[in-house]
Amino acid sequence: MRPQREYHIVVLGAAQFVQNVWIESYDPTIEDSYRKQIEVDGRQCILEILDTAGTEQFTAMRELYMKQGQGFLLVFSITSMSSLNELSELREQITRIKDDEKVPLVIVGNKSDLEEDRAVPRARAFGLSQSWGNAPYYETSARRRANVNEVFVDLCRQIIRKDLQGSGGGDPSRKREGPNRHDRKRESRRQNSRRRPCVIL
Amino acid sequence: MKPHIPPLKIAKPTSNLSVSTSPDDTKYIPDRFYSAHGQSEITPPLTPQGARDIMEQTEAPRAVFHNYLRAFYPFHPAGDVSPSTVTLPLDQGDIILVHSVHTNGWADGTLLDSGNRGWLPTNYCEAYDQLPMRPLLKALTDFWDIIRGGCGSSLKDFGNQDLMRGPIAGVRFLLEKSECLTREAPLVRKYDGLRRIRKALLSDLSSLVKTAKRFQEVANGTPEEDEVEGILDEMLLKAFKIVTRGVRFLDVWNEEVGLSRTIVELEQPMSDNQSLYDMPPTPASETFTLAETAPYSDTTERNDSRQMSRSRMDFSRASMRTEMLDHQPRPVSVSTKRISVSHRVSYSGPSAAICAENLASERLGTTYDAFLGVLGSFIGLHMQSRSSTELVTTTQQAVQSCRSLLTVVEAVCEHDTQRSAFLEQARESMCEKLSELVHAARDVFRPAHLPDDDLVFMPDEGKRLVDAATDCVRAAGNCLAKARLVLEQIGDIELEPSENEAPSEDVPGLITPQPQPETIPNSTYSPSTPGLTDSTTPSSFHSHLTSHSPANLSALSSLPSSAIMPTHLEGTSFSSTDSANRISHTKSEMGESFGRGVTSTGSSFTYNSHTRDSEMSGVSQTSTRATSPDIGGSFQVPSLKESVSHSTLAEENEETEANILEKTYAHELIYKEGQVMGGSLRALIEKLTAHQSTPDAMFVSTFYLTFRLFATPVEFAEALAERFDYIGDTPHAAGPVRLRVYNVFKGWLESHWRHDRDNSALEFIVEFAKTRLATDLPTASKRILDLAEKVSAVHGPVVPRLVSSMGKTNTATAQYIHPDTPLPPAILAKKETNLLKQWKNGEASISILDFDPMELARQLTIKESRIFCSILPEELLDTEWTRKSGSLAVNVRAMSTLSTDLAHLVADSILCLEEPKKRAVTIKHWVKIANKCLELNNYDSLMAIICSLNSSMISRLKRTWDIVSQKTKVTLEHLRGIVDVSRNYAVLRQRLQNHVPPCLPFVGTYLTDLTFVDHGNQSLRNLPTDDGEMAVINFDKHMKTARIISELQRFQIPYRLTEVPELQTWMQNELVRVRSNGETTAQVFYRRSLVLEPREPSRTATNMQPEANTSILDNAKDKFDFLSWSNNSKAKSVATNG
Repeated sequence: MRPQREYHIVVLGAAQFVQNVWIESYDPTIEDSYRKQIEVDGRQCILEILDTAGTEQFTAMRELYMKQGQGFLLVFSITSMSSLNELSELREQITRIKDDEKVPLVIVGNKSDLEEDRAVPRARAFGLSQSWGNAPYYETSARRRANVNEVFVDLCRQIIRKDLQGSGGGDPSRKREGPNRHDRKRESRRQNSRRRPCVIL
Repeated sequence: MKPHIPPLKIAKPTSNLSVSTSPDDTKYIPDRFYSAHGQSEITPPLTPQGARDIMEQTEAPRAVFHNYLRAFYPFHPAGDVSPSTVTLPLDQGDIILVHSVHTNGWADGTLLDSGNRGWLPTNYCEAYDQLPMRPLLKALTDFWDIIRGGCGSSLKDFGNQDLMRGPIAGVRFLLEKSECLTREAPLVRKYDGLRRIRKALLSDLSSLVKTAKRFQEVANGTPEEDEVEGILDEMLLKAFKIVTRGVRFLDVWNEEVGLSRTIVELEQPMSDNQSLYDMPPTPASETFTLAETAPYSDTTERNDSRQMSRSRMDFSRASMRTEMLDHQPRPVSVSTKRISVSHRVSYSGPSAAICAENLASERLGTTYDAFLGVLGSFIGLHMQSRSSTELVTTTQQAVQSCRSLLTVVEAVCEHDTQRSAFLEQARESMCEKLSELVHAARDVFRPAHLPDDDLVFMPDEGKRLVDAATDCVRAAGNCLAKARLVLEQIGDIELEPSENEAPSEDVPGLITPQPQPETIPNSTYSPSTPGLTDSTTPSSFHSHLTSHSPANLSALSSLPSSAIMPTHLEGTSFSSTDSANRISHTKSEMGESFGRGVTSTGSSFTYNSHTRDSEMSGVSQTSTRATSPDIGGSFQVPSLKESVSHSTLAEENEETEANILEKTYAHELIYKEGQVMGGSLRALIEKLTAHQSTPDAMFVSTFYLTFRLFATPVEFAEALAERFDYIGDTPHAAGPVRLRVYNVFKGWLESHWRHDRDNSALEFIVEFAKTRLATDLPTASKRILDLAEKVSAVHGPVVPRLVSSMGKTNTATAQYIHPDTPLPPAILAKKETNLLKQWKNGEASISILDFDPMELARQLTIKESRIFCSILPEELLDTEWTRKSGSLAVNVRAMSTLSTDLAHLVADSILCLEEPKKRAVTIKHWVKIANKCLELNNYDSLMAIICSLNSSMISRLKRTWDIVSQKTKVTLEHLRGIVDVSRNYAVLRQRLQNHVPPCLPFVGTYLTDLTFVDHGNQSLRNLPTDDGEMAVINFDKHMKTARIISELQRFQIPYRLTEVPELQTWMQNELVRVRSNGETTAQVFYRRSLVLEPREPSRTATNMQPEANTSILDNAKDKFDFLSWSNNSKAKSVATNG
């Protein structure tokens, strides 16, 4: 059995992305509220999630969070264009702090259950994700637990890949391989999973 | 003591066994059949022998799993029945709780009659699922599951009253459906059998409640495993008994009523139900009975009984109303008991069959109730500081009723001389307590002898009085319990009829015997005495019970003199007289003069208590009216309420009866582990104003804090008013509940009024106070109107609210510093003072290096603490602080702004310096300041400073960090460990957990938690009901919110530090200066950092390396390793060691 890996994930952004919504009652002090075990390509990973929800105004704090993270979820609400725009600054800060253009990150358009209130066209968000070195883009519904797990798996996969590259000397061309097809597949998967709530853990 | 119920502990067969149909299962069955020993208890025997059984077996596997079966055919397996018998012998009519049914038709069940568990043939039984019994059966199933399936960890939850709600509600439902809800229900009166079983059922129920109470006590102490098990078994058996009794009740009902109903129905298809509702609300029972029996059918039982119960409610409500009118205006304090007593009297008029009342047990109960009623008024009197006339009469009543109780006890004693030694003892102790009570009462009156004849109410004496009364109640409860025990042993005895006919009209009060001349003759009251003039008040009730026939006189005189001596009140002004008239005359005079004195002092007394702050006192006040204080729900404190309700519930069917009658929305609450998780607004309000128990402080605080999230202020007010109204149907609870409703309004207006939101409800509240409240509680109404006026005139809380009224209990642990202790002097020499002066005049520029780190930390703390302490709870609700525009959370916003400014100030002060050495010195200074912040428990500033020192723009200054001393780095490392964000701020949370204020916690964690609770929990919960589901308020979410807020409030205590205004001004100036860079501040700093120490070409590579190489094990360590200097090996070793 392969050893478990443990990764630090930081959730940033204006829209709260409560990944623990399926816990009947949230207690911040218990481990379950910030640790999560997932399986990525047959490998068990432990994720320690730092969700900064509620502290957006403590801008000086951000760096502390960012330094902590190995992978990032940049969350915006599909019902608010400004929440998407705010991500750029965050991403800029992350790359500056990590001194790395290819930090593992996923862009998450949350509240996909509020389709009727959508203010951010899917194409717009997708365009942004492409301009950021083809960062994956997901639309989720934390409330319906849709696509939440997929987001974490994708991010975790990126971190693992980066780990391997780091030890293997790096492969700058990896991001180039068929991103479009990749994302289209994701797009369709998203469509499906919106109907079925994903069961996590 | 432990009941004999061996098979109860048999492990429940696992489901796969019970459904197992494998061949192995069947092959050894034949020879095992009916054998008593050695067989696996979890495998059922084969089908019972006999052709008939086999034929019927086909229908045994049922599609629906029935929890309860009823034997319609006796089943007595051959051979003796030993405790380990696998099969369960059945008698016809037995009820069985089924745990599992085997496919071969055998069921694993528990016989409710005996509590024995074993296998039984289902084909001897039929499913038992009568509609009126359903809730009760379900309650038993739940009960079983909790006790047998539950784990020991949450033992405490079992004992609480909520667990008892199920059985109580079940019995209520049964009685309601069978139209036997009240004792005076026509059916109950008509059919003696029904009445008897009904009574037995209620007594079973009260016995269960009593055991539950005992369990609660045991569970709150340090229970021993055996003891707990024993009581649990006992409770289970009692619950079984209730169900068995309920089944029997229904049988009798069907026999007696159901049949005749059907016949009537056939003869007279329909009659006008409407007439029932239009009937005048006179409790003329005969006519009612006649009118009633006709229209009901059995065929449409469900509908009819619903109608029936409705009409029943109307009936009782209507009669209640007349009663209430009769009694207006009634004293607040005593209303609870008096109403309850009078209620009973008005129903069981003189024509009621009294034969049963001559039974010792019955009389024991009634006299005891009367005694409690009087003592209840005693407590009420004290709390309300009512007229002394009342006190006098109540004292007398107490003596009277106590005497009648003692009479019965005495009689019981006489019947059984052998075993009643302990009863004797209990009785004696009760006499003692009564004596103390009378003495206490007398002492209260002593000031009446003062020349000016002005009565000064002495609080100390009042307390003594209450204590004495409390003791009395306890002693009486004990006495009663002992007497009951004896009665149980020797069997019930019949006493001589106690009764002359009801008193004549002009002597409405107590007419009690005067067995000895020196006893205070109790006689009449002056007509002005409130609440006691009516013939339906307890006074008349007492006269019902109090024995004054010659026969009882002898019984009385046989009492030891100690029982009677204490009643001497001659010490007071009304010395013994033989003329009742004279006494009453004297007394009314006395009463008047006393009354005046007391009223004036009394009102100021109440005023004082009114102005006390916080809902804690508000709540306890309510409870003190009817009870004694039990703030905080401590079980050690002997509270009268507990003893009253304990002993009352323990032995009083009356109380159970009252419980049954109570209109309630309790079924609309969701519980989990004894906590309210959710409920409809009205159910929550009911819980908030429950009469049996003081709602816990957290529940109340949560309500005040969060109700606007689930109801508008108007809805809240209306729901409270509704509660005020419908509790009128439940006379015994109306008093305390109405007071609680009033207290909720009062607390709201006084300390929780939000002018921005609540003003819309003001009109309604005023209207309510003017009308309904004024009728019942005139003083309360006045108080509310006063408050409403103030609320509309004043902006801000009427009673200055301690910001944190919730968390304040915890602050009792705060370091106590005497207010006269001098503040620590500012560390500010002349030099610094001069510098500040020069700076003010624009003559010099100064930096943080000019000041002592401690002083800077102090001034920072003062500044920050001031904002923190002014955070209002409403700023923290509903993620108010994240609102983009128009956020009310000004103080929370100010906190984040200050924190950000401080971080920027740190960066600015370092980056403005050209020389690495100077930067290093400044870093060192900031580390010192941060360390001092930690000393002051100012985690918020600590966080900001460390954040800034760790930020990339500072941490990348390699040349600077190389100069920073190792000592400083070690300190910094230590500080960083404290504000570490990993594991969701585990370190920081741990530190704050039991932190003693003063302290400035990092606000961010609270904000995150609040956000998660708000977004991560639904606002509604689904509650399964009879017809589908109903969405109710997820109160748990609000409780969680309130709990986090109260955690924060716990720290809202200002520091005791000396403020240096000049330094504050300078700091403020600095902070504003760095803020002026606006949004781009961070980028500006970063660019400056790059200018100071340009990027090294190799940097990217070296930076990548450690992160990429991070092995799994190193990961945890490396997450601390983000300062550039820590990449050098020396620092790293420090990092890992620290």
